[in-house]
Amino acid sequence: MIEMTLYGRGGQGGVTLAKLIASTYFNRGKHVQAFGVYAAERSGAPLQAYVRIDDAEITNHNQVRTPDHVIVLDRTLIAPNILDGHKPDGWILLNTPQPPEAFAEMFPGRNVACLDATSIAVAHGLGTRTVPIVNTTLLGAVAKVLGLAASPDAPRTRSAPGRPEALRTRDLPRASDVPRTSDVPKAIGLTFKDVTETLAQSKFGGANLEAAREAFESVRLEKLPGAAAAPKARAPGAPPKDLLDADVGGMPAIRTGNWATRQPQRHQLTPPCNHACPAGNDIQAFVQALQRNDATEALSILLVTTPLPGVCGRVCPAPCMDACNRRIFDESVNIRDLERYAADHGELPPPTQPRREERVAVVGSGPAGLSAAYHVARLGYPVTLFESDKELGGVLRTGIPAYRLPRDVLDREIRHILSCGVEPCHKRVTRADLVELTQRFAAVFLATGLQQARGMDLGPEADGRVIEGLDFLDRARRGEESTKQQEVIIVGGGNTAMDAARTALRLGARHVRIVYRRSREEMPAIREEIDEALEEGIALDELVQPLRIFREKGATMLTCQRMKLAEPDADGRRRSVPHVGEDSHFDLRCDRVILALGQSADVGILPEGAEVREGEALVGMTAAPVFFGGDFASNEGTVSAAIGSGRRAALHIHRTLTGEDLFPTPPPVAGPEQITMHIFEHAPRHDGRAIPPAARRVSFEEVRRGLVDDPVFHPAEDEANRCFSCGVCNLCDRCVHYCPEGVLLRCGEEFQFDYGQCKGCGVCASVCPRGVVYMTEL
Amino acid sequence: MGKALITGNHAAGYALSVCGEANRSARGCVAGAYPITPQTEIVEYLRGFNFSRGRVVPVESEHSAMAVCIGAALNGARAFTASSANGLAYMVENIFAAGYYRLPIVLIAVNRTLGPPWNIWVDQGDSLMFRDAAWIQFYTESHQDLVDTVLLAFRVAEDPRILLPVCVALDGFVVSHTLMGVELPEQAQVDRFLPPCHVPHRLRVDHPATVGGLTWPKETAHHRRQIQSAMERVPEVLEEALDEFEKVFGRRPDGALRVEHAEDAEQMLVACNTMARTARRLVESRQSEGEKLGLIKLKMFRPFPRRQLREAVGKAKRLGVLDRNHSAGSGGVFWGEVAATFQGRSDLVVQNYIVGLGGGDVTPEVLGMIADDLQTRMTAGEPIWQEVGV
Repeated sequence: MIEMTLYGRGGQGGVTLAKLIASTYFNRGKHVQAFGVYAAERSGAPLQAYVRIDDAEITNHNQVRTPDHVIVLDRTLIAPNILDGHKPDGWILLNTPQPPEAFAEMFPGRNVACLDATSIAVAHGLGTRTVPIVNTTLLGAVAKVLGLAASPDAPRTRSAPGRPEALRTRDLPRASDVPRTSDVPKAIGLTFKDVTETLAQSKFGGANLEAAREAFESVRLEKLPGAAAAPKARAPGAPPKDLLDADVGGMPAIRTGNWATRQPQRHQLTPPCNHACPAGNDIQAFVQALQRNDATEALSILLVTTPLPGVCGRVCPAPCMDACNRRIFDESVNIRDLERYAADHGELPPPTQPRREERVAVVGSGPAGLSAAYHVARLGYPVTLFESDKELGGVLRTGIPAYRLPRDVLDREIRHILSCGVEPCHKRVTRADLVELTQRFAAVFLATGLQQARGMDLGPEADGRVIEGLDFLDRARRGEESTKQQEVIIVGGGNTAMDAARTALRLGARHVRIVYRRSREEMPAIREEIDEALEEGIALDELVQPLRIFREKGATMLTCQRMKLAEPDADGRRRSVPHVGEDSHFDLRCDRVILALGQSADVGILPEGAEVREGEALVGMTAAPVFFGGDFASNEGTVSAAIGSGRRAALHIHRTLTGEDLFPTPPPVAGPEQITMHIFEHAPRHDGRAIPPAARRVSFEEVRRGLVDDPVFHPAEDEANRCFSCGVCNLCDRCVHYCPEGVLLRCGEEFQFDYGQCKGCGVCASVCPRGVVYMTEL
Repeated sequence: MGKALITGNHAAGYALSVCGEANRSARGCVAGAYPITPQTEIVEYLRGFNFSRGRVVPVESEHSAMAVCIGAALNGARAFTASSANGLAYMVENIFAAGYYRLPIVLIAVNRTLGPPWNIWVDQGDSLMFRDAAWIQFYTESHQDLVDTVLLAFRVAEDPRILLPVCVALDGFVVSHTLMGVELPEQAQVDRFLPPCHVPHRLRVDHPATVGGLTWPKETAHHRRQIQSAMERVPEVLEEALDEFEKVFGRRPDGALRVEHAEDAEQMLVACNTMARTARRLVESRQSEGEKLGLIKLKMFRPFPRRQLREAVGKAKRLGVLDRNHSAGSGGVFWGEVAATFQGRSDLVVQNYIVGLGGGDVTPEVLGMIADDLQTRMTAGEPIWQEVGV
């Protein structure tokens, strides 16, 4: 008879390994027996499993006391006591990264086989996210060790390459009734084919087989030097405890924490939406507040980082939604409409007064200027906001049409910014003024945006028929434009192009067409904007470059060149190059051409020789430092980027004036692999409502209506409940409820692990939906 | 079907399932199902079996699991369930009801220590708790014995001369969770071995009746007496069932008891379950050394096979009764029965050894110490507590 003892921990698969070994011999026609010694402590608890193999029927039912072979599944259980009863010429198989020689002192004279099964199992993805399972891996090593143990000459070297697949099989003698220590361990040679067969029977898939193969090939075998001590019987246990003396409730207390090889810890990660938000909004937090239907709380969280949630909730391209982990599961959370909901339904806080002496000037009241003014004011400084126009808002007012951003929303948020201690001053700031401002203010922030439009030469006939996009939008807003019955062509693929096209349509154009030199894929405009423009009946000609305007038979025509895509340029977008061929040119009728090709900054306001660099202040050239932000400093081109830029500038100004650093240092991002997706239920996204295309074409009424509550449905609350809260604990208590030992407690927002009792089973980490609980090696 | 590598629990689940399925041409089968360690895998197995005419009813407690069996059996279905330890304790009220209703229900008891203190390992105290409940009780020694005995249990229980429920016990973990090779019976063989279940007093729409109503002392005593008569017929019916089993399956499981070396033994051990197999190893070993040690394996505890036991002891002078159970204030339960069997035999020493309580690991060495003690005894004393390691 061959007997084996396996030492492992609950949850590692030790009993299954015993059963797999037994199955392998059962397939070879042997009588087998495999069982574990179970305890009440379950996962993490040290346990033993036993295997018996014989030619005759097995009638022993007691535990194995004098094993031929010993297998240790957990490196922390490798200790001299595993030799108890072990027959000196048997094998000891250890799951350890150490080589056999490392155990020369512990197991002198023994046959020791070592394998880093844990690393192999992890590399093959075996087990759960929290606990690797090593049993199938070790089966490969068992086959190698027992294959060799059967051969006439046990190995002295590390490997035996070129060994034939089928080893000599030797029949076993009948077992003696009372084990004798002089028994020579015997084994039937196993080959890797046996392992393949057993794993296939047990429906263990490809990764298990590959791991077993790697183990079969890489297990290191060594007969250690020295004389093996005679087998020693298991030491008798301590005398039983009288339950009447103490601890009447149960077993004598066991400090199960001593068994742990791993421990759970908690950390907070950065949700991917927060990471992606150019404004730096705490999206996860405000969405959680909306789960509680608390729009005011949600708004107050947004107001920490942005003064313009109502604006962003309408016009932001929402990179947060592209980063949302839920996108992999079903659809991203509709964060943009939730932000709009919070802004439109939450209550704004009361006005505040400056509490510091140093005055700060902000030049330009676009999104960057508004954001900087707001954040500087929130830090307690009195702020003066300079704007050349008679209304504040910059491009938000002049460049974004009312059907996307209603004026009352913009006015409401500007009023709130002013209520925080911002004084508007309607005055154009020149270079000379800037020098003077630096003498009156402790710091100056410059965000005058992009004033110089990029042009395009369309020949002499272009005069009077071509207008720049932002000019067109501004004139339209003032009621100075009409496109009645005109054929209008827009050149460009950004948001200004979309806005100009849709505005031209609303002003009565007969037909509006957008021409863009690359394909729709490369268009920088917000996707929904493009969709809505097309819905409204605007034509889009991709891969078209306008060349020249000419007159023919009383009509104005635009000659265009067909383009094709080439390799990507520096910013990753594919370039377009002229298409050569018969149909490479064509003409389009047009009355007006609106150029929306982007703008560049007018640096004429700066002192001679000054350079604009993102994130750097101009120090020393003027009486007070000058900071830059928004599109003026870096052409990000979105409102949220401008808001972030203004906020960073405010923190920069504060650091310069006081030395205090308030820049946040966010933890690592929670990726999709951190999310336990299978516990969530699929739920379609709640999309905001919109007015129908036919109604849009004739009015500047706001197209999108956002998430609208009614007496029965609360789409905002439902949508907020789709949020995974990636990497941030939302007190769901799954870890507490699933802890099999009840050693994880929560009091308020504090979690307490009883490490004295925690066995490190990893259940809490595996059930955490959001990657907050994780396991560390001890 | 051939030999399968299977745990004791799955073997039991398989046996129950094929027996239930065998009644598909009659009134089908019903199992009341509630899990408890170490029995859980049995009800899991039942839930996974695709019965042609049968139902596994998940319930909220063991009490209801037996209630489902009672209701099903009273409607003529083949009814069965399984439990352990405190689950059986909760079931006890209905266990008695099943016995006194004379319903041929089969219950598998995976023996486990009754708590507190909490203990999940083997101890026969749980099934012996209802030894007086008009149930036939078999204690099985191996996976094969378990499977075969489940088949025999239905045949005996449903025999019109018997009509009593049967409990088939096995060692928790030592058998329930151990993987071994077993000859599993094929469905066609079981169909041949088990006649359709017929409960003569089943409830019928065309013949409305009440069962278990109020009776006077006279009727009650008569009812008990009838049960005793049925119990007394069990050995004969069991032997018939074994003959039939041998015809169908080509092997003969152990009957009420199994005796080894009775012809020359001076000392005999009396044991059941896997402890009997361990004792057999010791007996073989000692016999080969010339020691006159014999073994009586008691498989049937109810009815207690007094006649067969008296015949089995032969010329033995000493009996060592091994009990993996403890009746507080007395001693081992099997010992009490054995001692009563030999009342008046002043020439026979009947010594009790309480061993392996709470799942203690009973090795041949431990039993060897008991055999050594027994060999030198001139008189019997109070029960001896033989401590064993974990």
